[in-house]
Amino acid sequence: MRSAIIADLKKDMQKILNNISNESVPYLFLLPCLLILGSLLSVPLYKVVEYSLYDNVIVQKNPSFVGLQNYKEILSDTAFWKATLNTIIFTVGSVIGHLIIGTSLALLVNTDINPKARTLFRSLLILPWIFTAVVVAVNWQLLLNPFGIINYGLDKLGIISEPLDWLGDPSLAMWSLLLISTWRGYPFIMVSFLSGLQSIPKELYEAAEIDGAGFFGKFWHVTIPQLKPVIYGVALLDLIWTFQLFPLVWLTTGGGPGRTTEVLSTMTFRYAFVNFEFSQASTVAVSILIISAAFTIFYLRNEKSKI
Amino acid sequence: MSKIDIKNLVKYFGPQKILHGIDISISKGEFCVLVGPSGCGKSTTLRMVAGLETISGGEIIIGDRVVNGLKPRERGIAMVFQNYALYPAKTVYNNMAFSLQLSRINKNIIDEKVREVAKILDITDLLDRKPATLSGGQRQRVAMGRAIVRDPEVFLFDEPLSNLDAQLRGQMRAEIKLLHQRLKNTVIYVTHDQVEAMTLADKIVIMKDGRIEQQGTPDDVFHNPQTLFVASFMGSPPMNLISAKILKDGIKIKNSEINFKKSSNLKIDKSIIFGIRADDIRLSEEDKSGIPVKGFVNLVEQLGTENLAHFNVGENNFIGKTNARAKLKLNKEYSFNFNMKHAYFFDPETGARIS
Repeated sequence: MRSAIIADLKKDMQKILNNISNESVPYLFLLPCLLILGSLLSVPLYKVVEYSLYDNVIVQKNPSFVGLQNYKEILSDTAFWKATLNTIIFTVGSVIGHLIIGTSLALLVNTDINPKARTLFRSLLILPWIFTAVVVAVNWQLLLNPFGIINYGLDKLGIISEPLDWLGDPSLAMWSLLLISTWRGYPFIMVSFLSGLQSIPKELYEAAEIDGAGFFGKFWHVTIPQLKPVIYGVALLDLIWTFQLFPLVWLTTGGGPGRTTEVLSTMTFRYAFVNFEFSQASTVAVSILIISAAFTIFYLRNEKSKI
Repeated sequence: MSKIDIKNLVKYFGPQKILHGIDISISKGEFCVLVGPSGCGKSTTLRMVAGLETISGGEIIIGDRVVNGLKPRERGIAMVFQNYALYPAKTVYNNMAFSLQLSRINKNIIDEKVREVAKILDITDLLDRKPATLSGGQRQRVAMGRAIVRDPEVFLFDEPLSNLDAQLRGQMRAEIKLLHQRLKNTVIYVTHDQVEAMTLADKIVIMKDGRIEQQGTPDDVFHNPQTLFVASFMGSPPMNLISAKILKDGIKIKNSEINFKKSSNLKIDKSIIFGIRADDIRLSEEDKSGIPVKGFVNLVEQLGTENLAHFNVGENNFIGKTNARAKLKLNKEYSFNFNMKHAYFFDPETGARIS
């Protein structure tokens, strides 16, 4: 009797042990990745937050703890608020530009034309995405130069009478930046929407056609509702990326002229590597982090609701 | 309600000829079923009537209008798709109302029509739901509702029941038939299921490889097949089709003979295909009409109401029918009566019927 109970107990113990080892195996595989990602992410993250609470970090050996003093200063600085406003204008403008151009081009390259031509157009239209930001920035600088080809062309067409300094004129710089950012970023939207478009069942368009819908009717009643989940997810992702975009702005206008195109990311860079005020830089960086995190939570929630 | 005339309809996909001149004439209010194996061109024909495929040659006339150049919405048709093609983002109500909304009809009239049709189809409770929350049968009803609301001249059905399970398919089949009796619209219905074709049709058009094999009433194509293909396609179990040679007083089949009084136009020594339906082969104990043939039973399939007995005569396998209560033993010899009045003979080369 007793030996039977002991044998049962042994069996149960074995089961529990087996369960533990079975369940821990997947985590074991994840461990290296978690370790690397964790150390690469958490250490800098911690450091940035820590720096934002000290004064004179890095440049002096013994920085002094100042609490939220840096935040108080930043929040009462008009330059910070100007940069925040610029970031919002730049981000929202870019995302809208990406969406309009990306959607239109996705619709165009999804049409039933010669397959070879279609492949050619699809490949050509993805190119802006392939170039590194530096190449894009330098190219557009040359194109938009007062003596560049865009001014030349507009002059020849009689649209402008004298060359414009697209990136140097305070009233034009943000628009030019939006143009460059739109050109650079639309392929992501185009590619995402294209795959979305291809997954829409053909029958829905046929049913709509029989129901009497024309081009816009089909677009509005079939394409848009079917793409909605993609649009929402992709737009949020684009928002998160564009919000922290640095190289394109820094390499074209550098935040100028004056501070007219200064965004939070260029402000961080300026504080850190131009003014060597690493505490202020960290403080601005943390503000970017907080806003990006909010967007990311939105995005993840949206993704979760899709499942 | 309109008649439909399809005249010498031709379709090319690239260099490939898909339809080789289809002629079908469907009268007002007739239920016409296009049936055939996949790839026979039945769906293409339907889609050409709908205006979803271009016409490479020939004419389609709905009512008295040639519709070749007309857009789908101008043809006075409504279509029910195989996978329903309901708009996922719209409620059932808006799915049904969509075409009327597009033609800017007064909202009250739309509401009245949608509710009336919903009542006919018994889907009033579902009007506020989205298609994703509906079962297959319910979606099928909504798809039909969407077509009926428009009050079209012609209904087109493209394999509407093939996504449903067997029981529901039978039920929906009956409902479609009842609905047709009530609405009396002209219908073109495409299916690969010959049972559906038989039960629904006023007129069956049997297609194969882009050509019409035979068209006529269900009774006609079933009992009077003009080609080997039609004989083999219509009916379940399929007709027994056995290679044979004509003898003076019967036919020679592999390792055996069946003796009967043959008609004079079957020439002696000619190779033919001998066809007889399972219904016309009965266990001799049960039915003595026709001539007795002995065979070894090797398989019995119970269908509930009756049994299918597979048996060998010489080296030829036949399927006959027996009473459900007959207890046949396997590998035992039984006598079956072949009702030769209902036997068919086909030319093995052309597939044409020899009458």
